[in-house]
Amino acid sequence: MYFEAEIKGKKYKVDVVEQPRNWKISLQEDGGQWIHYDLSKEDYKKSESYFSFLFKGVSYLVDVVGKDTEYTVFTRNSFRSVKIFNDEMLLHESLKAGGGLGGDKELKSGMPGKIIEIFCKEGDVVKANKPLIIMEAMKMENEMRTSADVKIKQICVKQGDSVEAGAVLIKFDNP
Amino acid sequence: MFKKVLIANRGEIAIRVTRACRELGVNSVAVFSDADRESLHVFLADEAYNIGPAPSIESYLKMDKIIEVAKKSGADAIHPGYGFLSENSDFVRKCQEAGINFIGPTPENMDAMGDKLSAKALMKKAKVPTVPGSDGAVETVEQAREVIAQIGLPVIIKASAGGGGKGMRVVKSESEIESAFRACRSEGQNYFADPTVYIEKFVTDPKHIEIQVFGDKHGNVVHLFERECSVQRRHQKIIEESPSPSVPAEVRMKMGEAAVRAAREISYVGAGTIEFIFDNSTKEFYFMEMNTRLQVEHPITEIVTGIDLVKEQIHVALGHPLSFKQSDLKQKGHAIEVRICAEDPISYKPSPGLIRACRHPQGPFVRCDSYAYPGYEVPIYYDPMIAKVITWGETREEAIARMDRALSEFILSGIKSNIVLHKSILKHPRFLDGTYTTQFLEKNFEVIEPEIFKFVDDHVFLIAAAITAFNDRKSKDIRQYNVFPNWKRVGRKMQLRL
Repeated sequence: MYFEAEIKGKKYKVDVVEQPRNWKISLQEDGGQWIHYDLSKEDYKKSESYFSFLFKGVSYLVDVVGKDTEYTVFTRNSFRSVKIFNDEMLLHESLKAGGGLGGDKELKSGMPGKIIEIFCKEGDVVKANKPLIIMEAMKMENEMRTSADVKIKQICVKQGDSVEAGAVLIKFDNP
Repeated sequence: MFKKVLIANRGEIAIRVTRACRELGVNSVAVFSDADRESLHVFLADEAYNIGPAPSIESYLKMDKIIEVAKKSGADAIHPGYGFLSENSDFVRKCQEAGINFIGPTPENMDAMGDKLSAKALMKKAKVPTVPGSDGAVETVEQAREVIAQIGLPVIIKASAGGGGKGMRVVKSESEIESAFRACRSEGQNYFADPTVYIEKFVTDPKHIEIQVFGDKHGNVVHLFERECSVQRRHQKIIEESPSPSVPAEVRMKMGEAAVRAAREISYVGAGTIEFIFDNSTKEFYFMEMNTRLQVEHPITEIVTGIDLVKEQIHVALGHPLSFKQSDLKQKGHAIEVRICAEDPISYKPSPGLIRACRHPQGPFVRCDSYAYPGYEVPIYYDPMIAKVITWGETREEAIARMDRALSEFILSGIKSNIVLHKSILKHPRFLDGTYTTQFLEKNFEVIEPEIFKFVDDHVFLIAAAITAFNDRKSKDIRQYNVFPNWKRVGRKMQLRL
């Protein structure tokens, strides 16, 4: 099965072939050489809720969370978000729309929390790197800033609201 | 001995107190908010009662509700842990009125140290060194300029009622005075309902070093040496060690004696901590504040002195004299504690959510005080700290190596944690040689992704994600093409017949 993957901004082509006793996995970093791994299924075994992965002789306990195109992989207390697409088009779409805040059409909350303060109002044109909202989660106040010039189309929350992770806070127009 | 102790707290500290109670043969009563029904402290206590909705203001800070539960359950003492009501003198008075023993200092102790300005005046009286500064509230920008002219730049402007990094500004040049002054006043007003600010000399090479003190109701006061807590992010400690690698033996004795004088000055009862700013270039130290409670980092003192501080708190609350004298106390070896927080290790943004896998470190000279378990959902309402790992070594090097080993054993998935940040700090030359200051993480330590995440090859993540994605899609495919070609089935039947 052929995938395109993205990890921390780096793009990869990935090919996965399942055999009765092996995984054949090939990776190609953007423009680089294909690297082929032939992994025994004995070296990628489920134990409790995670996998024991013996890779190049190194022992990892790996946990993979997620579905569809977004996965988060945890191991050795590091973690990475990995985007995986079957369809090449999908990846290109997402990369076009991507970029930081300001490139997006809306500001979403990355975590559940409470809105402490809103610095803008609908119709405002806000310059890059200006604060938009202060959100509190776990006793910490987090300031969310613009990464590009934007025009505020709609503010979907008000001061004091509790929001879930992924909730849309502000919608933008291009200025 | 008390019959029953109610623990007015949650998380790992509630569990810590439950453990002390159980060792003393006292029943423990847990309280919990709606968000904490499945929190580990509820499972481990002998009894547990709901005290209200998730926000702490409606549960863990509700004094009357907690006292009511204590009475109903027959608890004759309350341990406040740290945070929440632990330094609230009104709560102590309410406990006293209700005939319940508060395990901690007297309300007078708390009031004396609660306001930073009056505390500083008291300390001057007790001949405890204090930082040169305004010696009182500064009302106007002009006044601020005068004070700064006297003590010299750099200075720090602080809100009198402030704490936790709120309401303070460092001023390095004349031009910053006015804006910093106004910012502190408004933050003081907004966060603590008190716009009073004061000004102090800013120590350029500062370390946070604190002395654990213990007093009883018979006038005995001792100190249990120092803890260095200079590794801080957003003005909150994340790594502590005892002894400090920067304090020479004679300065340690001076600091200990000063701390005992400070506690004596207010007839302090119970466990408390005198925090000092320590100038690493001059080895001078100045009183900062006193915390009239048990500290998060108390285990490192327990490990190097061999004293169970929570049990001692209970003994003292019962009116017993301290079970040790100053001359009995020795620091043995070296202890380190790291705080494991549910947060992004780079941006420090909280990461509440569902813990999937969780396995705590074990093995020789490792202690782990944690309330995490697989399947537990870390709530958004409270502090992000979910565990503390403490290690001991004969030497500092051994304690650090042991901590690195223990952190490698810590398995935690589903939420982000700062374990990798700790692993990187433990390898940093400024941490290893002990010269780190409170500005270490901001100034000397590059919190950059490749450095922090260098421990694992990208291909490991990619392969794991790819296999999972493959399996997810394969199982979908099977549902779509569930019709096997008949040739196979017919072929098998033919074989059986032959």
